[in-house]
Amino acid sequence: MFSQYFGKYLLDEKYLTKSQLNTALEHQKSVRLKLGVLAINAGYMNAQQASLVHQMQTKVDKRFGELAVEAEYLKEEQVEELLSSQRFGHLLLAQALIDKNYMSLEKFEGAIYEYKKKYNISELQFDAIQRDDVDEIINIYVNLEGDKYETEIKHYIALFMRNIIRFIDSEVYTNKNTKVEEYKTSCAVSQRIKNSINLQTYINAKEEVFVKFASKYAEEELLSMDEMAKDSVGEFLNLNNGLYLVGMSNIGIELDMEPQSVFFEKTIASTYVLPIELPFGKIELLISHL
Amino acid sequence: MTESSLKILVCDDSMLIRKKLKEVLKSCGYGNVSEAANGQEAIDIYKESNPDLVFMDIIMPFKNGIEAVKEIIEFDKDAKVVMASSAGTKEHVKEAIKAGAFEFVQKPWEKEQINKILVNLK
Repeated sequence: MFSQYFGKYLLDEKYLTKSQLNTALEHQKSVRLKLGVLAINAGYMNAQQASLVHQMQTKVDKRFGELAVEAEYLKEEQVEELLSSQRFGHLLLAQALIDKNYMSLEKFEGAIYEYKKKYNISELQFDAIQRDDVDEIINIYVNLEGDKYETEIKHYIALFMRNIIRFIDSEVYTNKNTKVEEYKTSCAVSQRIKNSINLQTYINAKEEVFVKFASKYAEEELLSMDEMAKDSVGEFLNLNNGLYLVGMSNIGIELDMEPQSVFFEKTIASTYVLPIELPFGKIELLISHL
Repeated sequence: MTESSLKILVCDDSMLIRKKLKEVLKSCGYGNVSEAANGQEAIDIYKESNPDLVFMDIIMPFKNGIEAVKEIIEFDKDAKVVMASSAGTKEHVKEAIKAGAFEFVQKPWEKEQINKILVNLK
């Protein structure tokens, strides 16, 4: 999940073009992650040191780790830690970009540094998001500042994203959320969560994307906006909201919900709009509290 | 009673869930399954066909699953009802058991969970 966010960041900040990103995304499936990229990502080495070790490797038949330890850029335990560390998705992307010469080690180092700075991310948070910690990713990317239900809504969004990953597609990311006074939906399902917290939740999408989403959840190919397509997206929302109720119940907040409904081109008032990008198109999660 | 003769009623307002549960039941050897899309329909079908087992959702339009279970148990105190809902909050589970359900299955359920209930019922 984080690799989608990192790829989008590189694109938005013009580190690379859309076609370079697409080529790298394809290439990353077969990429062999190298120690230099891992060491820069972990902040153990800078790009200049990694380049020097690469230069040494052209003259001496030794591994990157051995040379980095000899040059005192890395400690042996750091090499071991890096070699046994998880192969995070965004690193595969970065390695693919480096292999394709779309990006240098220096640029990668700069991109990581600027990324942390832009989102004001601590080392601890960076460690969490690169492990695809959905709660931390939503905490960083979704801005509900000043909302009295900020924690509860972020918890809701994180659960929603986890269910998207579980049932629809793991290649998903959110775009910037907004709050609007009025919003006209395309094809939407809605469900109310009620009691001490009152939220009206919606999944909204254009017809084509709505049907594709429905097909994914139903695990069968649906071709048009028929009753099964409406039912499938409605059931996804119902499942998500039911699990939200269970989570809240576990922390002592008893909520209830109403049956979901489907509608088209309806204007709704005062809502958060969170665009969610999936490989087959964009859906929107709308949340208004009553 | 042989497996194949067991009459099962699946009540859920989602046609997708009804379809999937029917498929699971069929794959476990239970083909005699009828459907209801809300609590009232389930009560009507129960009174008419007296099924051996009911799978009942909770959040449904017209009449919810808890109310439906109460009415079914009133009609037949030996009715066997399994609540199957995504909203498995402590409160809902308590209400369901109090209403007379003998089991609660949290959605999304797995085939093994459904099969276990059927095996235990024998």
